[in-house]
Amino acid sequence: MGLWRQTWLLFASELRQELRSFEVVATAAFYSLVMLALFALSLGVLPRDAQVAAAPGALWLSVAFVGALTLTRVFDREREADTLRALLCAPVQRLAIYFAKGALVLVVLAVAVAVLVPGLALLFPAASALLERPWLTAGLVLLGCIGYVAVGTLFAAGLATSGGKNVLIAVILYPLTTPVLMLNLVATRALLEHHPDVNAYLGRLAAVDVILVGVGAWLFESLLVGAVGTRRRRA
Amino acid sequence: MLLRSIPTLMLAAAALIFPYSVARIFLDTPIERTMGTAFKIFFFHVPMGWLCMLMALICGVAAAIEVKRRSLRAGAVALAAAELGFVCGLGVLLTGPIWGNATWGRPWTGDARQLTTALLWLVIAAYLLVRHFGGEQSRRLAAALAIFGAIDVPIIYYAVKIWKTTHPTTDVVGSLPPALWASLWPALGALVLCTFGLLAVRVRQLMTSEALDDAWVRLQERQET
Repeated sequence: MGLWRQTWLLFASELRQELRSFEVVATAAFYSLVMLALFALSLGVLPRDAQVAAAPGALWLSVAFVGALTLTRVFDREREADTLRALLCAPVQRLAIYFAKGALVLVVLAVAVAVLVPGLALLFPAASALLERPWLTAGLVLLGCIGYVAVGTLFAAGLATSGGKNVLIAVILYPLTTPVLMLNLVATRALLEHHPDVNAYLGRLAAVDVILVGVGAWLFESLLVGAVGTRRRRA
Repeated sequence: MLLRSIPTLMLAAAALIFPYSVARIFLDTPIERTMGTAFKIFFFHVPMGWLCMLMALICGVAAAIEVKRRSLRAGAVALAAAELGFVCGLGVLLTGPIWGNATWGRPWTGDARQLTTALLWLVIAAYLLVRHFGGEQSRRLAAALAIFGAIDVPIIYYAVKIWKTTHPTTDVVGSLPPALWASLWPALGALVLCTFGLLAVRVRQLMTSEALDDAWVRLQERQET
């Protein structure tokens, strides 16, 4: 069985599990609504010029928070059911686990963005450009989330298997993903301003995504089952 | 024997060059017309910025070797480079606002390169925290963190071009007049020699610590059997 077939089977299993309870999706959607309400209270009175700067920040800050919440929950579920070891022992490539988990987090983030984008357009008239150019917005959101998910899935898996504390995911994830989030901010702002260089920004995002997914895939197996420091483990 | 004394020689050379460099910067280098005396920070700020990035890169490459080849020496190099990168980064973040205050009228402008340098420093700090307090199981996690930190370095370097910024462009160093280059070289040389000398000393110290730990474990095992 090839890597993509294995990835698809694992992803379908993850999705089936999620569809039985809607636990992560419902939490992410609700959290997005709470974020929107908070932004409405704090930034709702901004003039149109300031909205162009505030709306991308509100969008990507919410995505970053929802992402950290989702990543923690996706691997906690495995830990609680004690299925992580079984998953690692399964006759599948470890890379398939990385891609399947990442795809599930992407789906959850897509749901969160589906709540956030219309909400922001309603809240900030300047953000309605996001709905006017839906395909470009979809491409931007997808590219923006892929880089975040590539890094997040790697470290959430590493924390789950190394017995690390979940609180570390935020400590590790936010400094590492902020450069990607900054690129997302600039690209979103360019989209809102109808800047002619939007496609160039998307190209840069795609290039960063390729690097992050590549490095994430390269490190995943080592991080999950590698044996750095094995000599010391005898103690 | 000669190899073992190289770090000491490097530190001795740095100790000789550094006072000469300070004297040259403050006594012989002309005061810059627009930025005034504050421009002299440039001669320490820029080399420390370069060294911080270089140490982050060395840390990332060594961490990658540590993860893939399970090399304890690479792990020691990664940790030592991170510690020196942390110190250099702290130097950049302290001297930058002083220079910025004199040039832009504000110590912190929220400029992209300021932010990303601060982020790189935070990544290095996170690596050190995970490495020192995360226990043996978190070494792989810390190594992955260092690798991603190293990937951030080129993003920081090109930040000036990618984002609109108030920070001096990367061409400033290239367009320096020869008199300023002549003052930059000794400062850069002293800091490079000092950093790499300390790196070698720290790696040796960490390797000795690992060897002592292993010897202790072997002794315990022998006593148990």
